[in-house]
Amino acid sequence: MTAISTGDATQAKGGASTSLTRVAGFVTFILPIAAFLAFWEAVVWFGLADATILPAPSMVLVRGWSLLNPANSEHSLLLMHIGASLWRALAAFVLACFVAIPLGFALGLSKGAYRALSPLLSLLLPLPAVAWTPIFLVAFGQGEITIIGVCFLGAFFPILYSTIQGVRGIDVHSIWVVRSMGAKPMDLFRRVLLPGALPALISGLKLGMAHSWRTLVAAEMLAALSFGLGYMIFAARSYMDVSTMFVGIVCLAVIGLLIEHAIFGTLERMTVARWHSSGKVRGAR
Amino acid sequence: MSADPAKVLPMNARSKPKIVAKGVQKNFGSVVAMEDVTLSIQEREFIAIIGPSGCGKSTFLYLIAGFEKPSGGELTLNGKAIRGPGPDRGVVFQEFVLFPWLTVLRNITLGLDIQGVKREEAEERALKWIRLTGLSGFENAYPSTLSGGMKQRVAIARALTYEPEVLLLDEPFGALDVQTKNYMIKDLQNLWQEANRTIVMITHSVTEAVHMADRVVVLSSRPSRVIADVRIDVPHPRDRRNPSMHRYEDEITAILSAEVDKAMSLERQIGLL
Repeated sequence: MTAISTGDATQAKGGASTSLTRVAGFVTFILPIAAFLAFWEAVVWFGLADATILPAPSMVLVRGWSLLNPANSEHSLLLMHIGASLWRALAAFVLACFVAIPLGFALGLSKGAYRALSPLLSLLLPLPAVAWTPIFLVAFGQGEITIIGVCFLGAFFPILYSTIQGVRGIDVHSIWVVRSMGAKPMDLFRRVLLPGALPALISGLKLGMAHSWRTLVAAEMLAALSFGLGYMIFAARSYMDVSTMFVGIVCLAVIGLLIEHAIFGTLERMTVARWHSSGKVRGAR
Repeated sequence: MSADPAKVLPMNARSKPKIVAKGVQKNFGSVVAMEDVTLSIQEREFIAIIGPSGCGKSTFLYLIAGFEKPSGGELTLNGKAIRGPGPDRGVVFQEFVLFPWLTVLRNITLGLDIQGVKREEAEERALKWIRLTGLSGFENAYPSTLSGGMKQRVAIARALTYEPEVLLLDEPFGALDVQTKNYMIKDLQNLWQEANRTIVMITHSVTEAVHMADRVVVLSSRPSRVIADVRIDVPHPRDRRNPSMHRYEDEITAILSAEVDKAMSLERQIGLL
Protein backbone atom coordinates (compact mmCIF):
# COMPACT_ATOMS: atom_id res chain seq x y z
CA MET A 1 0.00 0.00 0.00
CA THR A 2 2.86 2.33 0.80
CA ALA A 3 4.39 1.63 -2.57
CA ILE A 4 1.24 2.67 -4.37
CA SER A 5 0.82 5.91 -2.48
CA THR A 6 4.47 6.82 -3.05
CA GLY A 7 3.98 6.20 -6.72
CA ASP A 8 0.98 8.49 -6.72
CA ALA A 9 2.80 11.26 -4.90
CA THR A 10 5.52 11.24 -7.54
CA GLN A 11 2.90 11.14 -10.21
CA ALA A 12 1.17 14.21 -8.79
CA LYS A 13 4.30 16.23 -9.51
CA GLY A 14 3.70 15.55 -13.18
CA GLY A 15 6.13 14.88 -15.96
CA ALA A 16 6.47 12.50 -18.88
CA SER A 17 7.53 9.54 -16.76
CA THR A 18 4.22 9.34 -14.87
CA SER A 19 3.02 6.07 -16.38
CA LEU A 20 6.46 4.58 -15.85
CA THR A 21 6.45 5.53 -12.15
CA ARG A 22 2.99 4.06 -11.90
CA VAL A 23 4.15 0.75 -13.33
CA ALA A 24 7.22 0.79 -11.08
CA GLY A 25 4.99 1.52 -8.10
CA PHE A 26 2.71 -1.35 -9.00
CA VAL A 27 5.64 -3.73 -9.39
CA THR A 28 7.14 -2.83 -6.01
CA PHE A 29 3.68 -3.38 -4.53
CA ILE A 30 3.04 -6.74 -6.15
CA LEU A 31 6.54 -8.22 -5.81
CA PRO A 32 6.52 -9.00 -2.06
CA ILE A 33 3.05 -10.52 -2.40
CA ALA A 34 4.17 -12.72 -5.31
CA ALA A 35 7.24 -13.80 -3.35
CA PHE A 36 5.09 -14.68 -0.37
CA LEU A 37 2.69 -16.73 -2.53
CA ALA A 38 5.59 -18.58 -4.15
CA PHE A 39 7.00 -19.43 -0.72
CA TRP A 40 3.61 -20.64 0.47
CA GLU A 41 3.16 -22.76 -2.67
CA ALA A 42 6.58 -24.36 -2.12
CA VAL A 43 5.86 -25.07 1.55
CA VAL A 44 2.73 -27.03 0.61
CA TRP A 45 4.28 -28.87 -2.35
CA PHE A 46 7.25 -30.02 -0.33
CA GLY A 47 4.87 -31.41 2.24
CA LEU A 48 5.93 -29.06 5.02
CA ALA A 49 2.28 -28.17 5.61
CA ASP A 50 -0.86 -30.28 5.56
CA ALA A 51 -2.76 -29.36 2.37
CA THR A 52 -6.10 -30.22 3.97
CA ILE A 53 -5.55 -27.39 6.47
CA LEU A 54 -3.34 -25.07 4.46
CA PRO A 55 -4.10 -25.45 0.74
CA ALA A 56 -1.55 -24.11 -1.75
CA PRO A 57 -2.37 -20.81 -3.52
CA SER A 58 -2.85 -22.77 -6.74
CA MET A 59 -5.53 -24.94 -5.11
CA VAL A 60 -7.27 -21.81 -3.78
CA LEU A 61 -7.14 -20.33 -7.26
CA VAL A 62 -8.69 -23.44 -8.82
CA ARG A 63 -11.41 -23.48 -6.19
CA GLY A 64 -12.02 -19.77 -6.73
CA TRP A 65 -12.41 -20.28 -10.44
CA SER A 66 -14.89 -23.11 -10.02
CA LEU A 67 -16.92 -20.97 -7.62
CA LEU A 68 -16.76 -18.06 -10.02
CA ASN A 69 -17.53 -20.09 -13.12
CA PRO A 70 -21.25 -19.93 -13.84
CA ALA A 71 -21.04 -23.22 -15.79
CA ASN A 72 -21.28 -25.11 -12.49
CA SER A 73 -24.61 -23.65 -11.56
CA GLU A 74 -27.13 -21.20 -12.91
CA HIS A 75 -25.31 -18.15 -11.51
CA SER A 76 -21.78 -17.45 -10.39
CA LEU A 77 -21.93 -18.46 -6.76
CA LEU A 78 -18.93 -16.41 -5.75
CA LEU A 79 -20.23 -13.25 -7.39
CA MET A 80 -23.52 -13.66 -5.56
CA HIS A 81 -21.69 -13.98 -2.24
CA ILE A 82 -19.60 -10.91 -3.04
CA GLY A 83 -22.65 -8.96 -4.20
CA ALA A 84 -24.56 -9.74 -1.03
CA SER A 85 -21.62 -8.71 1.14
CA LEU A 86 -20.89 -5.51 -0.77
CA TRP A 87 -24.52 -4.45 -0.67
CA ARG A 88 -24.71 -4.95 3.10
CA ALA A 89 -21.42 -3.20 3.87
CA LEU A 90 -22.19 -0.26 1.58
CA ALA A 91 -25.77 0.12 2.78
CA ALA A 92 -24.54 0.20 6.37
CA PHE A 93 -21.79 2.67 5.44
CA VAL A 94 -24.12 5.04 3.60
CA LEU A 95 -26.66 4.95 6.43
CA ALA A 96 -23.87 5.64 8.92
CA CYS A 97 -22.73 8.64 6.84
CA PHE A 98 -26.22 10.08 6.75
CA VAL A 99 -26.48 9.97 10.53
CA ALA A 100 -22.89 10.43 11.69
CA ILE A 101 -21.79 13.37 9.51
CA PRO A 102 -24.62 15.80 10.42
CA LEU A 103 -24.41 14.70 14.05
CA GLY A 104 -20.63 15.14 13.95
CA PHE A 105 -20.97 18.70 12.68
CA ALA A 106 -23.53 19.50 15.36
CA LEU A 107 -21.36 18.07 18.13
CA GLY A 108 -18.23 19.67 16.72
CA LEU A 109 -19.84 23.10 16.68
CA SER A 110 -21.62 22.96 20.02
CA LYS A 111 -19.23 22.84 22.97
CA GLY A 112 -22.02 22.02 25.39
CA ALA A 113 -23.35 19.09 23.37
CA TYR A 114 -19.83 17.77 22.92
CA ARG A 115 -19.09 17.99 26.64
CA ALA A 116 -22.31 16.17 27.40
CA LEU A 117 -21.79 13.36 24.91
CA SER A 118 -18.03 12.86 24.70
CA PRO A 119 -17.76 10.54 27.75
CA LEU A 120 -20.38 8.31 26.19
CA LEU A 121 -18.64 8.44 22.82
CA SER A 122 -15.23 7.56 24.19
CA LEU A 123 -16.87 4.55 25.82
CA LEU A 124 -18.63 3.39 22.64
CA LEU A 125 -15.83 4.12 20.16
CA PRO A 126 -13.45 1.29 21.15
CA LEU A 127 -16.32 -1.19 21.52
CA PRO A 128 -16.30 -3.80 18.72
CA ALA A 129 -19.63 -3.55 16.92
CA VAL A 130 -19.78 -7.37 16.61
CA ALA A 131 -20.51 -7.49 20.33
CA TRP A 132 -23.99 -6.20 19.54
CA THR A 133 -24.76 -9.06 17.13
CA PRO A 134 -26.44 -11.41 19.65
CA ILE A 135 -28.64 -8.58 20.86
CA PHE A 136 -29.64 -7.73 17.30
CA LEU A 137 -30.26 -11.43 16.67
CA VAL A 138 -32.63 -11.58 19.61
CA ALA A 139 -34.41 -8.43 18.46
CA PHE A 140 -34.56 -8.92 14.68
CA GLY A 141 -33.58 -12.55 14.05
CA GLN A 142 -31.24 -13.65 11.29
CA GLY A 143 -31.15 -11.61 8.10
CA GLU A 144 -30.37 -8.28 6.51
CA ILE A 145 -31.59 -6.00 9.30
CA THR A 146 -29.29 -7.58 11.87
CA ILE A 147 -26.24 -7.65 9.59
CA ILE A 148 -26.68 -4.11 8.28
CA GLY A 149 -27.52 -2.88 11.77
CA VAL A 150 -24.31 -4.27 13.25
CA CYS A 151 -22.20 -2.96 10.34
CA PHE A 152 -23.88 0.41 10.75
CA LEU A 153 -22.61 0.56 14.32
CA GLY A 154 -19.16 -0.44 13.11
CA ALA A 155 -19.06 2.39 10.59
CA PHE A 156 -20.92 4.97 12.66
CA PHE A 157 -18.48 5.74 15.47
CA PRO A 158 -15.29 6.28 13.46
CA ILE A 159 -17.16 8.58 11.06
CA LEU A 160 -18.81 10.49 13.88
CA TYR A 161 -15.59 10.83 15.84
CA SER A 162 -13.51 11.98 12.87
CA THR A 163 -16.15 14.50 11.84
CA ILE A 164 -16.19 15.97 15.32
CA GLN A 165 -12.38 16.14 15.41
CA GLY A 166 -12.32 17.72 11.95
CA VAL A 167 -14.82 20.42 12.87
CA ARG A 168 -13.17 21.14 16.20
CA GLY A 169 -9.79 21.44 14.50
CA ILE A 170 -10.95 24.36 12.36
CA ASP A 171 -9.23 27.58 13.40
CA VAL A 172 -11.73 30.09 14.76
CA HIS A 173 -9.92 32.79 12.78
CA SER A 174 -10.88 31.16 9.50
CA ILE A 175 -14.52 31.36 10.58
CA TRP A 176 -13.97 35.00 11.50
CA VAL A 177 -12.47 35.74 8.09
CA VAL A 178 -15.57 34.65 6.19
CA ARG A 179 -17.93 36.15 8.73
CA SER A 180 -16.23 39.50 8.23
CA MET A 181 -16.94 39.06 4.52
CA GLY A 182 -20.63 38.88 5.33
CA ALA A 183 -20.97 35.08 5.11
CA LYS A 184 -24.33 33.58 5.99
CA PRO A 185 -24.47 30.28 7.92
CA MET A 186 -24.77 28.31 4.66
CA ASP A 187 -21.67 30.05 3.22
CA LEU A 188 -19.84 29.32 6.43
CA PHE A 189 -20.70 25.64 6.17
CA ARG A 190 -19.98 25.28 2.46
CA ARG A 191 -16.84 27.40 2.26
CA VAL A 192 -15.11 26.77 5.60
CA LEU A 193 -16.59 24.07 7.81
CA LEU A 194 -16.99 21.36 5.20
CA PRO A 195 -13.64 21.77 3.39
CA GLY A 196 -11.90 22.47 6.71
CA ALA A 197 -13.18 19.23 8.20
CA LEU A 198 -12.65 17.25 5.00
CA PRO A 199 -9.17 15.80 5.68
CA ALA A 200 -10.35 14.34 8.98
CA LEU A 201 -13.69 13.44 7.46
CA ILE A 202 -12.10 11.44 4.67
CA SER A 203 -9.98 9.43 7.08
CA GLY A 204 -13.16 8.91 9.08
CA LEU A 205 -14.96 7.60 5.99
CA LYS A 206 -12.03 5.32 5.26
CA LEU A 207 -12.06 3.96 8.79
CA GLY A 208 -15.84 3.70 8.75
CA MET A 209 -15.90 1.67 5.55
CA ALA A 210 -13.06 -0.54 6.81
CA HIS A 211 -14.93 -1.17 10.06
CA SER A 212 -18.14 -1.87 8.21
CA TRP A 213 -16.32 -4.40 6.02
CA ARG A 214 -14.64 -6.10 8.97
CA THR A 215 -17.75 -6.21 11.10
CA LEU A 216 -19.65 -7.64 8.16
CA VAL A 217 -17.74 -10.92 8.14
CA ALA A 218 -18.46 -11.73 11.74
CA ALA A 219 -22.05 -10.57 11.46
CA GLU A 220 -22.61 -12.72 8.37
CA MET A 221 -21.16 -15.76 10.07
CA LEU A 222 -23.72 -15.38 12.83
CA ALA A 223 -26.71 -13.90 11.10
CA ALA A 224 -26.67 -14.59 7.35
CA LEU A 225 -29.28 -16.99 5.99
CA SER A 226 -27.89 -17.90 2.58
CA PHE A 227 -25.34 -15.52 1.03
CA GLY A 228 -22.37 -13.36 1.83
CA LEU A 229 -18.62 -13.94 2.04
CA GLY A 230 -18.78 -14.41 5.80
CA TYR A 231 -21.55 -16.94 5.36
CA MET A 232 -19.59 -18.70 2.62
CA ILE A 233 -16.51 -19.06 4.79
CA PHE A 234 -18.49 -20.22 7.79
CA ALA A 235 -20.66 -22.64 5.82
CA ALA A 236 -17.58 -24.22 4.22
CA ARG A 237 -16.43 -25.47 7.62
CA SER A 238 -19.19 -28.12 7.67
CA TYR A 239 -17.58 -29.76 4.61
CA MET A 240 -14.00 -29.15 5.77
CA ASP A 241 -13.70 -27.14 2.57
CA VAL A 242 -10.62 -25.10 3.50
CA SER A 243 -9.98 -23.93 -0.07
CA THR A 244 -13.37 -22.19 -0.18
CA MET A 245 -12.59 -20.51 3.12
CA PHE A 246 -9.36 -19.21 1.65
CA VAL A 247 -11.19 -17.99 -1.45
CA GLY A 248 -13.46 -16.02 0.86
CA ILE A 249 -10.54 -14.60 2.83
CA VAL A 250 -8.71 -13.54 -0.32
CA CYS A 251 -11.88 -11.89 -1.68
CA LEU A 252 -12.33 -9.98 1.60
CA ALA A 253 -8.76 -8.72 1.50
CA VAL A 254 -8.75 -7.75 -2.18
CA ILE A 255 -12.14 -6.04 -2.09
CA GLY A 256 -11.19 -4.19 1.10
CA LEU A 257 -8.01 -2.95 -0.55
CA LEU A 258 -9.84 -1.93 -3.73
CA ILE A 259 -12.45 0.03 -1.80
CA GLU A 260 -9.77 1.89 0.13
CA HIS A 261 -7.71 2.74 -2.93
CA ALA A 262 -10.26 3.11 -5.68
CA ILE A 263 -12.85 5.10 -3.73
CA PHE A 264 -11.05 6.88 -0.93
CA GLY A 265 -7.70 7.16 -2.67
CA THR A 266 -9.40 8.98 -5.54
CA LEU A 267 -11.34 11.20 -3.16
CA GLU A 268 -8.12 12.11 -1.37
CA ARG A 269 -6.22 12.81 -4.59
CA MET A 270 -9.02 15.08 -5.75
CA THR A 271 -9.10 17.11 -2.56
CA VAL A 272 -6.70 16.96 0.35
CA ALA A 273 -3.62 15.83 -1.57
CA ARG A 274 -3.97 18.71 -4.03
CA TRP A 275 -4.19 21.32 -1.29
CA HIS A 276 -1.05 20.12 0.42
CA SER A 277 1.13 19.35 -2.56
CA SER A 278 4.19 20.74 -0.79
CA GLY A 279 4.06 17.82 1.61
CA LYS A 280 3.19 19.89 4.65
CA VAL A 281 0.47 18.58 6.88
CA ARG A 282 -1.36 21.89 7.09
CA GLY A 283 -1.12 24.56 4.45
CA ALA A 284 -2.53 27.62 6.16
CA ARG A 285 -0.13 28.38 8.89
CA MET B 1 3.45 50.37 -7.62
CA SER B 2 5.09 53.79 -7.66
CA ALA B 3 3.65 56.33 -5.25
CA ASP B 4 1.54 58.92 -6.90
CA PRO B 5 1.83 62.14 -4.87
CA ALA B 6 -1.76 63.07 -5.65
CA LYS B 7 -2.90 59.88 -3.99
CA VAL B 8 -0.80 60.47 -0.90
CA LEU B 9 -2.59 63.66 -0.02
CA PRO B 10 -6.07 62.29 0.81
CA MET B 11 -4.51 60.23 3.58
CA ASN B 12 -3.81 63.42 5.46
CA ALA B 13 -6.99 65.20 4.48
CA ARG B 14 -9.04 64.11 7.47
CA SER B 15 -12.77 64.54 7.34
CA LYS B 16 -14.97 62.98 10.01
CA PRO B 17 -14.54 60.37 12.72
CA LYS B 18 -14.90 56.85 11.30
CA ILE B 19 -14.47 54.77 14.41
CA VAL B 20 -15.19 56.15 17.88
CA ALA B 21 -14.48 54.31 21.12
CA LYS B 22 -15.85 55.84 24.31
CA GLY B 23 -14.81 54.22 27.58
CA VAL B 24 -14.74 50.77 26.00
CA GLN B 25 -14.43 47.96 28.52
CA LYS B 26 -13.83 44.28 28.01
CA ASN B 27 -13.87 41.56 30.62
CA PHE B 28 -13.07 37.90 30.11
CA GLY B 29 -14.80 36.27 33.04
CA SER B 30 -13.34 37.98 36.09
CA VAL B 31 -10.31 39.32 34.21
CA VAL B 32 -10.56 42.96 33.19
CA ALA B 33 -8.73 43.09 29.88
CA MET B 34 -9.72 46.61 28.90
CA GLU B 35 -10.66 49.23 31.42
CA ASP B 36 -11.37 52.42 29.55
CA VAL B 37 -10.28 52.85 25.96
CA THR B 38 -11.34 56.15 24.46
CA LEU B 39 -10.19 56.86 20.96
CA SER B 40 -11.39 58.50 17.79
CA ILE B 41 -10.16 57.36 14.40
CA GLN B 42 -10.72 59.63 11.42
CA GLU B 43 -11.76 58.59 7.97
CA ARG B 44 -8.82 57.49 5.77
CA GLU B 45 -6.47 57.66 8.75
CA PHE B 46 -3.80 55.03 9.25
CA ILE B 47 -3.43 54.40 12.94
CA ALA B 48 -1.10 51.99 14.65
CA ILE B 49 -1.92 50.64 18.10
CA ILE B 50 1.03 49.55 20.17
CA GLY B 51 1.41 48.30 23.73
CA PRO B 52 3.12 45.76 25.97
CA SER B 53 2.42 42.15 25.08
CA GLY B 54 -0.79 40.82 26.53
CA CYS B 55 -2.27 44.31 26.91
CA GLY B 56 -5.34 43.54 24.84
CA LYS B 57 -4.34 45.24 21.58
CA SER B 58 -5.76 42.43 19.53
CA THR B 59 -8.88 42.34 21.65
CA PHE B 60 -9.50 45.97 20.73
CA LEU B 61 -9.17 45.08 17.05
CA TYR B 62 -11.57 42.14 17.44
CA LEU B 63 -14.05 44.52 19.09
CA ILE B 64 -13.91 46.82 16.07
CA ALA B 65 -14.19 43.81 13.77
CA GLY B 66 -17.26 42.69 15.72
CA PHE B 67 -15.87 39.26 16.61
CA GLU B 68 -16.09 40.14 20.29
CA LYS B 69 -18.58 42.34 22.12
CA PRO B 70 -17.54 45.12 24.52
CA SER B 71 -18.53 44.61 28.16
CA GLY B 72 -19.09 48.35 28.60
CA GLY B 73 -18.76 51.70 26.90
CA GLU B 74 -19.57 52.63 23.35
CA LEU B 75 -17.94 51.59 20.11
CA THR B 76 -19.28 53.01 16.87
CA LEU B 77 -18.49 52.80 13.19
CA ASN B 78 -19.90 55.64 11.06
CA GLY B 79 -21.87 56.70 14.15
CA LYS B 80 -23.61 53.34 14.51
CA ALA B 81 -22.88 50.84 17.29
CA ILE B 82 -20.91 47.79 16.09
CA ARG B 83 -23.10 44.71 16.42
CA GLY B 84 -21.08 42.05 14.64
CA PRO B 85 -18.65 41.42 11.82
CA GLY B 86 -19.48 42.83 8.42
CA PRO B 87 -18.05 43.37 4.94
CA ASP B 88 -17.44 47.06 5.71
CA ARG B 89 -14.40 45.90 7.74
CA GLY B 90 -11.67 43.68 6.36
CA VAL B 91 -9.33 41.79 8.69
CA VAL B 92 -5.78 40.56 8.11
CA PHE B 93 -4.47 38.19 10.75
CA GLN B 94 -0.92 37.58 11.86
CA GLU B 95 -1.22 33.91 10.89
CA PHE B 96 -2.58 34.76 7.42
CA VAL B 97 -5.54 32.34 7.78
CA LEU B 98 -5.66 31.40 4.12
CA PHE B 99 -7.88 28.57 2.98
CA PRO B 100 -5.65 25.68 1.85
CA TRP B 101 -8.40 24.27 -0.38
CA LEU B 102 -8.64 27.43 -2.46
CA THR B 103 -6.09 28.67 -4.99
CA VAL B 104 -4.52 32.10 -4.53
CA LEU B 105 -7.07 33.60 -6.90
CA ARG B 106 -10.06 31.94 -5.20
CA ASN B 107 -8.75 32.98 -1.78
CA ILE B 108 -8.60 36.56 -2.99
CA THR B 109 -12.03 36.56 -4.66
CA LEU B 110 -13.63 34.84 -1.65
CA GLY B 111 -15.17 38.02 -0.25
CA LEU B 112 -16.76 38.84 -3.60
CA ASP B 113 -17.87 35.22 -4.12
CA ILE B 114 -19.65 35.30 -0.77
CA GLN B 115 -21.32 38.57 -1.72
CA GLY B 116 -22.63 36.88 -4.87
CA VAL B 117 -20.51 38.86 -7.34
CA LYS B 118 -20.23 37.09 -10.73
CA ARG B 119 -17.06 35.07 -11.17
CA GLU B 120 -15.69 37.09 -14.12
CA GLU B 121 -16.30 40.38 -12.35
CA ALA B 122 -14.76 39.07 -9.13
CA GLU B 123 -11.64 37.97 -11.00
CA GLU B 124 -11.47 41.29 -12.78
CA ARG B 125 -11.58 43.17 -9.47
CA ALA B 126 -9.11 40.80 -7.83
CA LEU B 127 -6.64 41.30 -10.64
CA LYS B 128 -5.79 44.84 -9.57
CA TRP B 129 -4.78 43.75 -6.08
CA ILE B 130 -3.01 40.65 -7.33
CA ARG B 131 -0.88 42.94 -9.48
CA LEU B 132 -0.29 45.48 -6.70
CA THR B 133 0.69 42.83 -4.16
CA GLY B 134 3.09 41.25 -6.66
CA LEU B 135 1.22 37.96 -6.85
CA SER B 136 0.86 37.87 -10.63
CA GLY B 137 1.68 34.42 -11.96
CA PHE B 138 0.68 32.70 -8.70
CA GLU B 139 -3.09 32.89 -9.23
CA ASN B 140 -3.51 29.15 -9.57
CA ALA B 141 -1.05 28.10 -6.86
CA TYR B 142 -2.32 26.60 -3.63
CA PRO B 143 -1.32 28.44 -0.43
CA SER B 144 0.76 25.50 0.83
CA THR B 145 3.29 26.19 -1.94
CA LEU B 146 3.82 29.85 -0.96
CA SER B 147 6.38 31.42 1.35
CA GLY B 148 5.30 33.30 4.48
CA GLY B 149 5.65 36.71 2.85
CA MET B 150 3.59 35.65 -0.15
CA LYS B 151 0.91 34.17 2.08
CA GLN B 152 0.64 37.48 3.88
CA ARG B 153 0.28 39.27 0.53
CA VAL B 154 -2.58 36.94 -0.36
CA ALA B 155 -4.23 37.72 2.98
CA ILE B 156 -3.84 41.45 2.37
CA ALA B 157 -5.08 41.24 -1.22
CA ARG B 158 -8.02 39.17 -0.02
CA ALA B 159 -9.04 41.85 2.46
CA LEU B 160 -8.60 44.66 -0.07
CA THR B 161 -10.45 43.03 -2.95
CA TYR B 162 -13.92 43.25 -1.47
CA GLU B 163 -13.19 46.91 -0.70
CA PRO B 164 -14.04 47.27 2.97
CA GLU B 165 -14.16 50.83 4.32
CA VAL B 166 -11.87 49.89 7.19
CA LEU B 167 -8.86 47.63 7.09
CA LEU B 168 -7.96 45.94 10.38
CA LEU B 169 -4.45 44.50 10.58
CA ASP B 170 -3.58 42.26 13.51
CA GLU B 171 0.24 42.24 13.70
CA PRO B 172 0.37 41.68 9.95
CA PHE B 173 4.13 41.23 9.89
CA GLY B 174 4.47 39.36 13.16
CA ALA B 175 4.84 35.92 11.60
CA LEU B 176 7.41 37.00 9.02
CA ASP B 177 11.18 36.91 9.33
CA VAL B 178 12.99 40.23 9.65
CA GLN B 179 14.11 40.45 6.04
CA THR B 180 10.74 39.61 4.55
CA LYS B 181 9.15 41.99 7.02
CA ASN B 182 11.33 44.96 6.09
CA TYR B 183 10.73 44.29 2.45
CA MET B 184 6.97 44.01 2.95
CA ILE B 185 6.77 47.23 4.97
CA LYS B 186 8.63 49.16 2.31
CA ASP B 187 6.71 47.56 -0.49
CA LEU B 188 3.30 47.83 1.06
CA GLN B 189 3.54 51.50 2.02
CA ASN B 190 2.64 52.30 -1.55
CA LEU B 191 -0.12 49.78 -1.41
CA TRP B 192 -1.68 51.50 1.61
CA GLN B 193 -1.73 54.75 -0.31
CA GLU B 194 -3.36 53.02 -3.24
CA ALA B 195 -5.89 51.39 -0.90
CA ASN B 196 -6.78 54.79 0.54
CA ARG B 197 -8.77 53.35 3.45
CA THR B 198 -9.10 53.81 7.16
CA ILE B 199 -6.50 51.43 8.54
CA VAL B 200 -6.07 50.19 12.11
CA MET B 201 -2.90 48.19 12.62
CA ILE B 202 -1.94 46.34 15.79
CA THR B 203 1.78 45.94 16.21
CA HIS B 204 4.45 45.46 18.85
CA SER B 205 7.14 47.09 16.73
CA VAL B 206 7.71 50.82 17.26
CA THR B 207 9.67 51.07 14.01
CA GLU B 208 6.86 49.48 12.08
CA ALA B 209 4.30 51.80 13.66
CA VAL B 210 6.29 55.02 13.12
CA HIS B 211 7.21 54.00 9.63
CA MET B 212 3.70 53.38 8.39
CA ALA B 213 1.06 55.13 10.50
CA ASP B 214 -0.27 58.69 10.64
CA ARG B 215 -0.91 58.25 14.34
CA VAL B 216 0.50 55.91 16.93
CA VAL B 217 -1.66 55.08 19.94
CA VAL B 218 0.06 53.51 22.94
CA LEU B 219 -2.00 51.28 25.22
CA SER B 220 -1.08 50.54 28.83
CA SER B 221 -0.60 47.04 30.16
CA ARG B 222 -3.69 45.21 31.35
CA PRO B 223 -6.26 46.54 32.07
CA SER B 224 -5.59 48.71 29.06
CA ARG B 225 -6.15 52.42 28.61
CA VAL B 226 -4.77 54.85 26.05
CA ILE B 227 -1.59 56.37 27.55
CA ALA B 228 -0.25 58.22 24.53
CA ASP B 229 -1.49 59.35 21.15
CA VAL B 230 1.33 60.55 18.90
CA ARG B 231 0.79 62.09 15.47
CA ILE B 232 3.62 61.23 13.08
CA ASP B 233 4.06 64.36 11.00
CA VAL B 234 6.28 62.96 8.28
CA PRO B 235 5.03 62.89 4.70
CA HIS B 236 4.67 59.58 2.86
CA PRO B 237 6.55 57.74 1.47
CA ARG B 238 8.81 57.80 4.47
CA ASP B 239 12.50 57.25 4.54
CA ARG B 240 14.01 55.13 7.28
CA ARG B 241 16.93 57.61 7.55
CA ASN B 242 14.74 60.67 8.21
CA PRO B 243 15.96 62.05 11.62
CA SER B 244 12.50 63.13 12.76
CA MET B 245 11.40 59.50 12.43
CA HIS B 246 14.09 58.55 14.93
CA ARG B 247 12.84 61.20 17.33
CA TYR B 248 9.32 59.74 17.13
CA GLU B 249 10.69 56.27 17.60
CA ASP B 250 12.66 57.34 20.69
CA GLU B 251 9.67 59.15 22.14
CA ILE B 252 7.32 56.21 21.75
CA THR B 253 9.90 53.67 22.88
CA ALA B 254 10.43 55.71 26.07
CA ILE B 255 6.69 55.73 26.83
CA LEU B 256 6.41 52.05 26.10
CA SER B 257 9.39 50.94 28.19
CA ALA B 258 8.24 53.06 31.14
CA GLU B 259 4.91 51.22 30.92
CA VAL B 260 6.58 47.83 30.69
CA ASP B 261 8.81 48.66 33.70
CA LYS B 262 5.79 49.70 35.72
CA ALA B 263 3.93 46.53 34.84
CA MET B 264 6.93 44.35 35.66
CA SER B 265 7.60 45.96 39.05
CA LEU B 266 3.91 45.68 39.88
CA GLU B 267 4.02 42.00 39.03
CA ARG B 268 7.09 41.58 41.22
CA GLN B 269 5.35 43.31 44.13
CA ILE B 270 2.38 41.01 43.76
CA GLY B 271 4.79 38.11 43.65
CA LEU B 272 6.34 39.23 46.99
CA LEU B 273 3.01 39.54 48.75
